[in-house]
Amino acid sequence: MSDIDYKDRGSLLNPLKSFAFFGRPAVTEAIEPRPASDNYRGFHVNDWTKCVGCSTCQKVCDNAAITMVRIPGLIADPVKGIRDERPAIDYGRCCWCGLCVDICPTGSLALSREYVHTCVDAELDSYFVLPDSSGMHGQHFEKGWAKTADADLVDLDRQKMPEMEPEQRIGNFAEMLLGYDDQQALLEASRCVQCGMCHDACPTHMHAPEYIRAIWEGKLEEAVAWIYQTNPFAHICGRVCTRRCEDACSIGHRGEPIAIRWLKRYAMDAVPHERVKQIALAGKVDTPTGKRVAIIGGGPAGLTAAFDLAKKGHAVTVFEALAEPGGMTRWGIPEYRLPYDRIDRDIDVIRSAGVDIRCNVRIGQDITLDQLRAGHDAVLLALGLQQGRQTRIPHSEHEKVFRAVDLLNKITANEPFDVPHCAVVIGGGNVAMDIARSLARLQKQQYGQVNVVVTALEEQQHFMADPDEIKEALEEGIVIRDQCGPQGCEIDAAGKLVGLKTWKVLSIFDENKRFAPRYDEAGETIHACDTVIEAIGQSADTSLLGDTLTEALEWNRGRIKVDADGRTSEAWLWSAGDMVNGPDVVHAVADGHRVATSIDAVLMEQKK
Amino acid sequence: MKLSPTSNLSASLEFLLQEISGLRSQWKSPRRLRVDLQAETLPALIELLKGRAGFVHLSAISCVDWPAQNEFELVYHLWSYEVKVLVMAHIRIPRDPGIYLSIYDLYRPAAFFERDIHEMFGLFFEGSPDMGKFILTEWDGPPPMRKEFDGEAWVMNQFDWQDYQPGWLKDIEAKGGGITTRPEDVRRDKPKPWDEQS
Amino acid sequence: MRPENYQSVNHPPSNEFELFFGPNHPGIEGNYALKVRVNGDEVTSARADGGYLHRGFEKLMEGRLWIQNIALVPRICVPDPVPMEVCYSLAIEELGGIEVPERAQWIRVMQLELSRIAAHLFTFGGHAATTGMYTPMFWGIADRDLILDLFEELSGGRVYHIFNIPGGVRRDLPPGYLDRVSKTLDYIESRLPDYDNLLFTNKVFVHRATGVGVLNQEQALEWAVTGPNLRATGLDFDVRRDDPYLVYDQIEFDVPVEQAGDAWARALVRRSELKESLRILRQVVAKLPSVGGPIRAPIPNPLAWNLPAGDVYTRVESSKGELAYYVVSNGGDKPYRVHVRGPSAMHAVQVLENLVTGARIEDVAQIMFSLDACPPEVDR
Repeated sequence: MSDIDYKDRGSLLNPLKSFAFFGRPAVTEAIEPRPASDNYRGFHVNDWTKCVGCSTCQKVCDNAAITMVRIPGLIADPVKGIRDERPAIDYGRCCWCGLCVDICPTGSLALSREYVHTCVDAELDSYFVLPDSSGMHGQHFEKGWAKTADADLVDLDRQKMPEMEPEQRIGNFAEMLLGYDDQQALLEASRCVQCGMCHDACPTHMHAPEYIRAIWEGKLEEAVAWIYQTNPFAHICGRVCTRRCEDACSIGHRGEPIAIRWLKRYAMDAVPHERVKQIALAGKVDTPTGKRVAIIGGGPAGLTAAFDLAKKGHAVTVFEALAEPGGMTRWGIPEYRLPYDRIDRDIDVIRSAGVDIRCNVRIGQDITLDQLRAGHDAVLLALGLQQGRQTRIPHSEHEKVFRAVDLLNKITANEPFDVPHCAVVIGGGNVAMDIARSLARLQKQQYGQVNVVVTALEEQQHFMADPDEIKEALEEGIVIRDQCGPQGCEIDAAGKLVGLKTWKVLSIFDENKRFAPRYDEAGETIHACDTVIEAIGQSADTSLLGDTLTEALEWNRGRIKVDADGRTSEAWLWSAGDMVNGPDVVHAVADGHRVATSIDAVLMEQKK
Repeated sequence: MKLSPTSNLSASLEFLLQEISGLRSQWKSPRRLRVDLQAETLPALIELLKGRAGFVHLSAISCVDWPAQNEFELVYHLWSYEVKVLVMAHIRIPRDPGIYLSIYDLYRPAAFFERDIHEMFGLFFEGSPDMGKFILTEWDGPPPMRKEFDGEAWVMNQFDWQDYQPGWLKDIEAKGGGITTRPEDVRRDKPKPWDEQS
Repeated sequence: MRPENYQSVNHPPSNEFELFFGPNHPGIEGNYALKVRVNGDEVTSARADGGYLHRGFEKLMEGRLWIQNIALVPRICVPDPVPMEVCYSLAIEELGGIEVPERAQWIRVMQLELSRIAAHLFTFGGHAATTGMYTPMFWGIADRDLILDLFEELSGGRVYHIFNIPGGVRRDLPPGYLDRVSKTLDYIESRLPDYDNLLFTNKVFVHRATGVGVLNQEQALEWAVTGPNLRATGLDFDVRRDDPYLVYDQIEFDVPVEQAGDAWARALVRRSELKESLRILRQVVAKLPSVGGPIRAPIPNPLAWNLPAGDVYTRVESSKGELAYYVVSNGGDKPYRVHVRGPSAMHAVQVLENLVTGARIEDVAQIMFSLDACPPEVDR
């Protein structure tokens, strides 16, 4: 029941109550636009120094009001994940909901407190605005609706990769990362905003946004199909890729990038191998072209090129000097990071495309290069970098000083060797971590304890190695001593190696950014050990070319000079992979595609 | 049996519903009962609920189009002020010819919902008092809420969009830049390479 | 002077006319028409004519991601947008199994009640205007503006707040916000005697509204009348209390009921609800500082958010009556179907047609407004 006494007839004097209103202020509104509230949703402002042109705002815009515009002169760096594009807003469509602000991965977008814009018909173009940090009309207004931590629509935290505990994994070579389960993969894939920075950054331009989307949609076979569009080393890259994509990921600007590599691994592991083969071979040409291609080197570059060329109908033979194909992925990378059966699967897909891989055939010894040239229409050199570089410091010729690649080869081949009781590794790259962690495992197996020291010139945070590798190495009991410049191996009177002498590094590069380390002799350290391992890089062994061809070819700083398509100065010879570009598996894959396209074009031209 | 708020609600309601053959019921929450039944038995259920369980309030009739099954789903949302439960009765009827019975004689509000569904989905209700146009008076296209009607395509086709040529864009174009991705480009799925090949 | 081609028309002798109320008419909040046939001053039949505000919301929603629709739903009812946002969010949360943090629930209640006050101020201002009294309308709109100021401060938007999001709300309260809410509540409370003086004990209004558009309880139930209009017929029912959502079960409030079922009773129910809303808001203001925690449950990336297949029917009590969303998901990233059941879909069509028939022509506008119908809920 209402408590209003409306049935009261009231007094005749009731209207006099109205006089009270003379004493009250009138309700007034200013003619000038009123200052807006602190988080008003007015016109956009965009901090161009933060914006990377990822276009996520465009995707979340519910009114299709955002157009991406390329602006020459802005930074465009695919490796860092920056495009020279910025969003332009159509204020004929925008509804100022601010979802673009809440989802912006970098936090560059905000809405200002400016809200008045009027124009006549002839000035309708003024509704299409390219916001920067100076307001819509060049007047300064404070920020209104801006990103806050509790309102972020971007999920900044990555799904944690399940892994074996250090004490579990240290005594064996079993794969230490266990892989995402279905739920984790789904959640991780759902973090992706589909900006495509990863695609641009990837050397082989993998369709990462597409396969991540497919994983999220539960269409794993479609994900595999997307992966095989650009990369036949799918299992391998799903485990050991250097993942430039993740460095470029938009989410990485404020949070942890999407685990693109682990998602690839998940998709590849989830689809049965026979089905992967069918998917990978879709689009293979049925009729042979009759052209024959010889590829020297069964690593990523050679086999990628072989796979592409075989799919195009050429007869491809790969000559591999070692017992198994795979190149550095098999012979360099330890099993706990990349189990051999995964390599075998990738190779099996490539073989099933019709590629003839002949192992234990060393060109120059078993067959000459001239014989190859005579029997084939094109020859591709993809030797890789098999020779470990040497420090050439005093006493480094000692028998207990090894090259990391040689030891890694031995471990893969299961060749017995004396596992050092105490090893010092020189180098801060992934190979250094690989040999250190492999030795640590062998030590644990044979002696029950780990005793490996890694020394490198750089500070630890600037090591070339993947930060995850460093973290895991430390967990496994490996000691890292950074900023140590190797000066010589210490030999005792009996000629036994007893240690490595290092000086503290003051700087590594000179003012011209050339490699010229400076040391502080006072910071001398003797790292006691019975074995020193050099892991400071690799070089190609090009002796198989022979003097005449070496003479005839053009060279560039010790590497064979090739054009943009991978052709050498000899018309019949292409070269690709690490020996041309330096070590990186996904780069080698990209290179393989590039030379395959070039070889195919030349061969098909010949055929006409 | 007459349902009362004091009785063991779910049990009594379920007991009552057993009178309808082929009916499946499921409590989605303490006050939401989902009921699936054959279209022929819906009038009996409605009569039962209104007459004997106090469901006097027809909250809404919703229609859902399922072209893949070639069916319309009709959902009758009935509320009882006495037992405070909402029954959602789901039936499926064939999309073709798309005719069903009106429940106007039991629930007057059905007239509005049935006319609405007729306009938006093209589903005809026999016995409904008015199947004329109401909202889409000047529309002679297909019933727009059917899934095959692509509203966005129709809009893109129907209206002229403002073609903006602001000065800043001309400057950027003169320098070699310009628009790279229009909003409509990201609203459609991109074709897949293997589809093109086939 | 008559044009050359002028021809006089011979009307048949009749007192019957057909009149159009609308589509632009202050008797209803939006574009809506009522075709009325009158015989002299008496309405003999009436037919509601909607469609002037049809924007195809339900179709539009099917083409947008779950989260994108939050910018769309408040547009379905301009004077009272918050229940739309909350009802849609509740549906998504129930489908996705998302637990809304308690703080967010209290903030939602605060918005809902602020919005209810704003809507009611708007409504009885308008109701008074249909009886020829314009001052309550000016007062109502001016005081409603203070609530819009609060919304602006909270959400950055005055009318379309777009502030509720599946999972919770989009921002926490600005510093000192509750004090300002309190101040506005004090002010509005102090204004209530003025409103009573001006309108609710005003003999002109009482007499003009009494006995107009009478709806008895039986009719009200038959025509699915809800909200204040139903409570004005003596049925004690409120979704907030009887089918509770959010934290309404922790809040003390009465459900005002009137018996007469006429335009006057409906106005009185709204007037009493103002007081109850103030009472609820006082409790929220007192409670909120002690409710900590997040303002939003973690939700997935909106660009890749599939909701499990299923359907859900959520109801809230808007200022106009029972508002419900029927949302169907087929497991995708967009709604498969959204059906908006606005209370006005009943009030503005069948109920209005029935009440107006037999009424006098000068009461038509008042009946329209006393039902507090919102055309966009009809047209969607």
